[in-house]
Amino acid sequence: MGLTSESLEKSLLQGEPGWLRERRQTALAAYERLPLPAKTDEEWRRTDVSRFNPADFSQLEHLDGLKLERPAGLPAGVILQPLRMAAMEHPELIEPRLFTLVHGDRDRFAALHAAFFTGGTFLYVPDGVEIDEPILGQHFSHHDGTSVLPHTLIVAGRGARFNYLDEYIADNESETGHRSGSTEIFLGEGSQVGYVAVQKWGRNVWHFADQRAELQKDSTLRLFNVTLGGKFSKTRVEASLAGEGSNAELKAIYFASADQFFDFHTLQDHRVGNTRSDLLFKGALQDVSRTVYAGLIRIAKHAARSDAYQANRNLVLSDKAKATSIPMLEIDNNDVRCTHGATVGPVDPEHLFYLRSRGIPESTAKRMLIQGFFGDVLDRIPFEHARKLVEAELESRIG
Amino acid sequence: MATVPKVEVGTDYKEKYGFFVPEEYVFKAKRGLNPEIVKEISWMKQEPEWMTNMRLRSLEIFRKKPMPKWGADLSVIDFENIFYYLKASDKQSKTWEDLPPDIKATYDRLGVPEAERKFLAGVSAQYESEVVYHSLQKELTAKGVIFTDTDSALRDHPDLFKEYFGTVIPPADNKFSALNTAVWSGGSFIYVPKGVRVDIPLQAYFRINAENMGQFERTLIICDEGSFVHYIEGCTAPIYTTDSLHSAVVEIIVKKNARCRYTTIQNWSTNVFNLVTKRAMAYADATMEWVDGNLGSQITMKYPSVYLMEPGAKGDVLSVAFAGKGQHQDAGGKMIHVAPNTTSTITSKSISKGGGRTSYRGHIKIYPGANNCKSFVKCDALLLDDESRSDTYPYNDVDAENVTLGHEATVSKVSDEQLFYLMSRGIPRAEAETMIVNGFIEPFTKELPLEYAVELNRLIQLEMEGSVG
Repeated sequence: MGLTSESLEKSLLQGEPGWLRERRQTALAAYERLPLPAKTDEEWRRTDVSRFNPADFSQLEHLDGLKLERPAGLPAGVILQPLRMAAMEHPELIEPRLFTLVHGDRDRFAALHAAFFTGGTFLYVPDGVEIDEPILGQHFSHHDGTSVLPHTLIVAGRGARFNYLDEYIADNESETGHRSGSTEIFLGEGSQVGYVAVQKWGRNVWHFADQRAELQKDSTLRLFNVTLGGKFSKTRVEASLAGEGSNAELKAIYFASADQFFDFHTLQDHRVGNTRSDLLFKGALQDVSRTVYAGLIRIAKHAARSDAYQANRNLVLSDKAKATSIPMLEIDNNDVRCTHGATVGPVDPEHLFYLRSRGIPESTAKRMLIQGFFGDVLDRIPFEHARKLVEAELESRIG
Repeated sequence: MATVPKVEVGTDYKEKYGFFVPEEYVFKAKRGLNPEIVKEISWMKQEPEWMTNMRLRSLEIFRKKPMPKWGADLSVIDFENIFYYLKASDKQSKTWEDLPPDIKATYDRLGVPEAERKFLAGVSAQYESEVVYHSLQKELTAKGVIFTDTDSALRDHPDLFKEYFGTVIPPADNKFSALNTAVWSGGSFIYVPKGVRVDIPLQAYFRINAENMGQFERTLIICDEGSFVHYIEGCTAPIYTTDSLHSAVVEIIVKKNARCRYTTIQNWSTNVFNLVTKRAMAYADATMEWVDGNLGSQITMKYPSVYLMEPGAKGDVLSVAFAGKGQHQDAGGKMIHVAPNTTSTITSKSISKGGGRTSYRGHIKIYPGANNCKSFVKCDALLLDDESRSDTYPYNDVDAENVTLGHEATVSKVSDEQLFYLMSRGIPRAEAETMIVNGFIEPFTKELPLEYAVELNRLIQLEMEGSVG
């Protein structure tokens, strides 16, 4: 079975509402039309996808393979469902939003995801509803050589407050396959949303993710990414500050080892004034791994009194690992505060010397320095459940 | 107080000053670009055959290369509608007195030395500093230093010339280096022998003997082992020109233990597209420093670069850009680490006002095997009003081991607190803003010879007067 309209018809379209069928078919047409990204395209210059053939993984896995942790006693009006089910039951909430932030025709991979997305969550929190317990969505992959393409759609009503965790988990560490995990978040006026995505697919998969949030007036997004899995992982994190007083915190940690390749593209899009964004991506690299970070702060002409910060820090633990960092700014207004910074470098030999002079063995000292490196960003994980999960994952990586 | 003429450097000179130079040329190549015109240029200059061939080959390359799609919008350049070679008939006929009073007034207010003013204004008549010039030439010659224009160098030092010309920036490097190689004219040629230190900065206007400034200048500097030279290409005062395209190539070779500093302050009138390729090769323990200021032109695309070829080499770029109304300064620097244990820094300061746009564009490339390198980039941008724009595009490619790379950038407006502080001391707002801007670019001005630093500060003052009335 290939990734054709025939297989789309057989596997997914059955029983889906007309508008969704149409959206999938349009995305498939885009997939067939769009070329592979050219090496000359700045976004893909350092990101090699020439050996990725989606047709190798045309078996779609678990069309609703998602385990939703439903906190006991969800307030009335909250909708938490697998996305495809929700599309049938609540089209009025989903049709106007699905794939309007993450565009299905952005490139070949986004198109493939939009055409064939399988599991995924729909979360709707009505106006004024606050949920204390985090909501957890776990996406599992069970089989080797398949495609697992979950999509999360989150809608926060005015003044809603809640936390959500997407966890991407492999049954088998050495699985191959095609994975994605895209997310669209709509933040209504004054809402506060914490979103954490923990990607720990198997070591041999291709992973593509597009996350984009749109923030209305006075809303706050705290978004946190953890990237650990895949042999290839490309994540785009974009926040569109569309309402005055909105605030986006975009944080991430990544730990690349063996021959893993991680790519992050971020956008802090300040479309109106009095907005704030703060981005911090921290990563460690060992063995022969490679990472690419490219981020852009864009401040529109009339977006005065905006603050935007962007920092990417890379700790290179091996001589053969390679980190590339490209922080970019496009500032069209003067009444702003913008800074960005990027560093790439090994463990500071002076720090190591200091610890060793205190009698700490080199390997322990190194581990302490790595823990210290991640420490400040770990503290920014929006809720405790996710923090513990990430700390445990990191601990096992640092060894 | 007498009213001072309002001088706004960075707006259209022609409208402001009604300044133009009557055209009188002995030789004027036809408009446009084709092999016949290139051959004609070469024949006019009585060049050896290898140069004629190189020009023709470069023209081919220029034709084949596509226009760059990044950076500023260059689609408006019409290559077929440009004169590629003009030889002035009688330079002496133009005198200082013929210059428009406003240009003279600008020079006055800037305090530009008279000799230099005349040079800038294209007046190459005899003046007092000729004496200085001669004694300088005598001193340089005694040390074995060659300092001449590039056309004469090809004639008088053919072997040295052929050995280095086009080796740092081959014609095929980019579309505009190909264009320059095809039609180049003028520029400086400097050779500093082993161990020789040239104590005073060499400036283009010392060469009163030949064409000083051209549309397609070609400069070649060779610093032999252990030598030192500081070359100053341009200066702060506005340079009026009718040409719409300036595309220079500057090649520098800094050999073992040598040090070269190259200072430019570009202040073309705002009708000019300034597309320049500047590159240096630095060998073992050599130091190359670019001090690069961009104030004029409509569009500038210029990224001075250093290829760090052998261990211990050090590269340094200090860049200042000022973009006013209708200007786009796309400037920055490139550091290419080819050898291990090399270090580089790029410091960029940019100021945008009145709808101007400044872009920092830089590239740090560290090749495989170039281990233990360090590179640091710092970009600060100041936006003086809400119509202006600032961008930062740093590209970093690290393929080596144990590399430390840092990049930092800030964008801000003149801070209210700083302004408040100064104004609370009784300093008027406009003056306070000027002081802050001058303070902002201080790391740049302090690297300039004193007279230029003073001029630059005054120039900023003039610019600021224009902005706040």
